[in-house]
Amino acid sequence: MSRPRALYQLVRADFLERVRRYSFLLTLAFSVYLGYAVYAGQITLQLDKYRGVNNSAWLGSVIGLVASFWLTLVGFYIVKNAIQRDRQTRVGQILATTPISKSFYTLSKALSNFAVLGAMVLVLALAALVIQFSQGVDSNIDLFALVSPVLIFGLSAVAVAAALAVLFESLPVLRGGVGNIFYFFLWTALITFSVATLGKGPWFPTSSGFTDFTGIASLMGQMQAQVRALDPQYNGNVSFSIGGLHPTTETFLWTGLKWTPALLISRGMLFAIAVALALLAALFFDRFDPARAGWLTAKRQRSTSKSAAPEPAPTQAPAKSFEQSVLDLPQPHLSAAHLTPLLRTASQAGSRTRFFALAAAELRLLLRGHAWWWSTVAAGLFIACLFSPLDAARSGVLVAAWLWPALIWSQMGTREAQFSTGPLIFSAPHAVPRQLLATYAAGVLVAAITGGGLGLHLLYERDFAGLIAWATGALFIPALALVLGVASGSRKFFEALYTAWWYVGPLHHIHGLDFMGTTAASSTPAPYLAAAVLLMLLAYSWRRVRLAYA
Amino acid sequence: MKLEIQEVSKQYRRGVLALNRFSLELKPGVLGLLGPNGAGKTTLMTILATITRATEGRVLWKGTDIARDPDALRSVLGYLPQDFGVYPNLNAVEFLEYLAAVKGLDSATATRRIDELLELVNLTEVRKRPLGGYSGGMKQRVGIAQALLNDPQLLIVDEPTAGLDPEERVRFRNLLSDLSGERIVILSTHIVSDVEATATDIAIIAKGVLVAHAAPEALLRQVEGKVWEWVIPSAELNAAKGRFLVSSTTRRSDGVHVRILGEAAPIGAVPVPSNLEDAYLYCLSQHRAGAQPGVQQ
Repeated sequence: MSRPRALYQLVRADFLERVRRYSFLLTLAFSVYLGYAVYAGQITLQLDKYRGVNNSAWLGSVIGLVASFWLTLVGFYIVKNAIQRDRQTRVGQILATTPISKSFYTLSKALSNFAVLGAMVLVLALAALVIQFSQGVDSNIDLFALVSPVLIFGLSAVAVAAALAVLFESLPVLRGGVGNIFYFFLWTALITFSVATLGKGPWFPTSSGFTDFTGIASLMGQMQAQVRALDPQYNGNVSFSIGGLHPTTETFLWTGLKWTPALLISRGMLFAIAVALALLAALFFDRFDPARAGWLTAKRQRSTSKSAAPEPAPTQAPAKSFEQSVLDLPQPHLSAAHLTPLLRTASQAGSRTRFFALAAAELRLLLRGHAWWWSTVAAGLFIACLFSPLDAARSGVLVAAWLWPALIWSQMGTREAQFSTGPLIFSAPHAVPRQLLATYAAGVLVAAITGGGLGLHLLYERDFAGLIAWATGALFIPALALVLGVASGSRKFFEALYTAWWYVGPLHHIHGLDFMGTTAASSTPAPYLAAAVLLMLLAYSWRRVRLAYA
Repeated sequence: MKLEIQEVSKQYRRGVLALNRFSLELKPGVLGLLGPNGAGKTTLMTILATITRATEGRVLWKGTDIARDPDALRSVLGYLPQDFGVYPNLNAVEFLEYLAAVKGLDSATATRRIDELLELVNLTEVRKRPLGGYSGGMKQRVGIAQALLNDPQLLIVDEPTAGLDPEERVRFRNLLSDLSGERIVILSTHIVSDVEATATDIAIIAKGVLVAHAAPEALLRQVEGKVWEWVIPSAELNAAKGRFLVSSTTRRSDGVHVRILGEAAPIGAVPVPSNLEDAYLYCLSQHRAGAQPGVQQ
């Protein structure tokens, strides 16, 4: 089979496997929602008091930005499972025995990721058309001005996100939750860097490919120049936001992006960067070799194998028959007939005690596998919460103390799917409510322990309003983790959403979004308390429906 | 103690009918559930283990419909699924302690029971070793131990010997024989020798339908006088397979010894004693031909 055909077949199979899952419909629904958010004015682009007239050029530019902005963030998490799926389905072991090279494989995975994200971009391009039909003030549709920003900005940006997802999956340290959290900060840094270059001149002639991978600087630069030509007093402010911070009073006629050779080259460079990232991933890709399953895992396995006794070796003598060798084996001292029978009445008593035992077991499971330094940092944050000035502890240290266990909370509700233990657990009596509550209790305990320094501090200072806000945070975070874990069966949804929410809400003390109550002004405990209860009910209902029994 | 499966059907999405009006009544003893791949064995097991619901029909445990009150069965149920996982960072004791808590056993009972079970499945020496380092057979033995944690009255084991080496397989067969008595054991497998060694009753399932349910002796009686051994040159083997139902073949110096099932013997064939594998194949062939095996109890 020729190499292009082999590449096509690899990408095709992976793409079909993904798009035939129900979750793919959800990703397309997300694209449709983004289009709707633009239509409904929930996502707005403003240049101080100006916004563009709703013509093809303006709508195309806004939706192009939406595509490159949001799909590079959310899309990364959607596609960051291509190699993991081959690992879980064990198809990877079959592929590893074929002549395909590592670079060929990682390139095919990046292309498959790109195909999935590209489908989402195409949905947004369609949405742009629908919006202009239904809302456009200008009834003349300029198809090129409408669709070209969506396709050129969107596709080039998601190409980078698709390749980065493969690179993250290939690097053992970034494969899991650490990578999910790190990507959010990488994405934020890239956006911040490209936006920071705005307003540094009358127009911004960006040609920097990777630093402006969403295209926001290129687009805004041209728009700023056009507004400045119209209004010399324009102060250079721009905002691309959800909800629209300030009402616009003026409109201007945006005539569309000028696709200069420099701009086209910079977008083209992103495809080249994507290919380079996919090939770079091949350097770290382990080709499904279990012996190279990451240094952390390998180190753990080495340390356990030193202390562990080997599997008892059979003592079969070559000259003996099989039946004789079995008879000669060291037999267990017990036979099934000698097992101590259970007293059913005794075993059914004390359900409260057994719930605590189950919660303790769940807590042990959550904390198991974390290195000593994790506990050391957690203990340090606890002490800092306790002894820092109250305001600093509440608005600063707690924010860090409750980001630290994010990878612990993200396990909640996912383990049964991840390790295929569901049939063992859910065939036990009352397993769904008991195990779900025990997991939740363990998650709340993690919050109470890691942020406990502040809890004690607030109690000591008799700041009961603050204590209620703190307790609400401790109840809300595990409920969010549990419902996302149960619903998705995957850790990354909580890791991505929680990190983003943590960044937007608690870190910046934004009223309404600050679920930790990091300041008195931003604290709104009542709705989050209600949300915690609602999320728990949702988690229970979801699991009940999934299992058909409860 | 009685488990009644009444007219149970299970239809999956896209119309796949895995079970079709399946009925069976079980009393204490070991039931060997035999059937080819895709016969519906695992579907039946998951319904009995309260993992999934039947589309039609009902299952009664001591007269209680398990779809309405699954916990009535779950408190006395031991289940070893065909595919299951473990938590790789826990050792065997910790994993069993966790499942004991899930099953509602108190701490003292769980500790004693886990000690006994680990000894029973021959894992005492490696009890402190993380499960992530266990071989497939060792994980399977952990699965067997967890199924026995709550001293179940109904024990369901689905392909339990998969992954076990021959020695452990013999041990497991003995274990199942020991366990029967005042409990119902359902052993689902496609390995006839596992059933032959332990089952007090045999049910054969094919394409979601109960083909036969009988004691092993009754099944064997059905093929008495219908099993032949025929020695032929190896060049004629394919032709023989086309003409007769071949149970097994063995190559020897004088040719291929072909074991044949049929009403009439080919010329030169000699009658031989029947075994359970012959009976199983005969039942399936009769079912495929549209005839009733006629050994329903």
